[in-house]
Amino acid sequence: MQISTHELKSKVIESLKLQDITPEQIDDDAPLFGTGLGLDSIDALELVVLLEKDYGIVIKDIEEGRPAFRSVKTLAEFIAAKRPQ
Amino acid sequence: MNKIFIAAASIVTETDLPSARLGQRFGRLDLQSQLALLAVASLQIDFAKFPPDRLGICLVASAGSLTTDLNFWNGRSGVGGPSPTLFAYTLPSAAVGEIAIHFGLTGPDLCFVGDGTELITEAVDLIRSDKVDGCLCICGEVISTEVAKIISGPSAATACALFLTRAALSPDSRELREFDRDIKPLCALLCAAKSAS
Repeated sequence: MQISTHELKSKVIESLKLQDITPEQIDDDAPLFGTGLGLDSIDALELVVLLEKDYGIVIKDIEEGRPAFRSVKTLAEFIAAKRPQ
Repeated sequence: MNKIFIAAASIVTETDLPSARLGQRFGRLDLQSQLALLAVASLQIDFAKFPPDRLGICLVASAGSLTTDLNFWNGRSGVGGPSPTLFAYTLPSAAVGEIAIHFGLTGPDLCFVGDGTELITEAVDLIRSDKVDGCLCICGEVISTEVAKIISGPSAATACALFLTRAALSPDSRELREFDRDIKPLCALLCAAKSAS
């Protein structure tokens, strides 16, 4: 089941308590970490919790999750593929 | 003995936080770090005028990080466990780090837990021993209603700050006196005097 990138961006903003930024200002393909949104390792852990809380996806192997955290688009695709039906 | 000057003083409360504009990541900080950072920003000091390694930070957290500790502990039973972000703030000295990062300060720092009566003395020692040219003194009081019940005290969400320097930075600078030992009443006095003028 596809999920809306707009909805996902809203959840990311809320979960990471980002200020002065709207979903519209986040590019679907922009890197989440380093450049782009500029997230860090603590944010990565917070996103792992977000996936479990909101989508029921448990990431047990960080290598599995790494490609998913490249951008909002890859994260949305990962959620759509892994989300329990 | 070399004179020490109070360049600026500030007091902030939780009600000041919504109007704070201290970067995209300000919301991630715990309440104590937010208040401490806002108190320092409210001093309106141009720290760029000092070498970053010549500015110290002395902070007292009256109740340590108890409120954040408890918030973290309360989150353990939820799906996904407690917030990883919150874990980073389960240390009373976290606010010192946030201030240093935000303002790019790399000088010595100290963190106390308690009433803060040693804070100004320690800051003065740092200046008089020539380790720094100026020192931030911050007192954070963050006690949630839940923690207040545990410690049988009042709840609080405030922070106050002073900036001590070797030389008077402006005509508003006031000399630190021997009896200026307790940061909270001193900040209250200076902020009230500034409001009245």
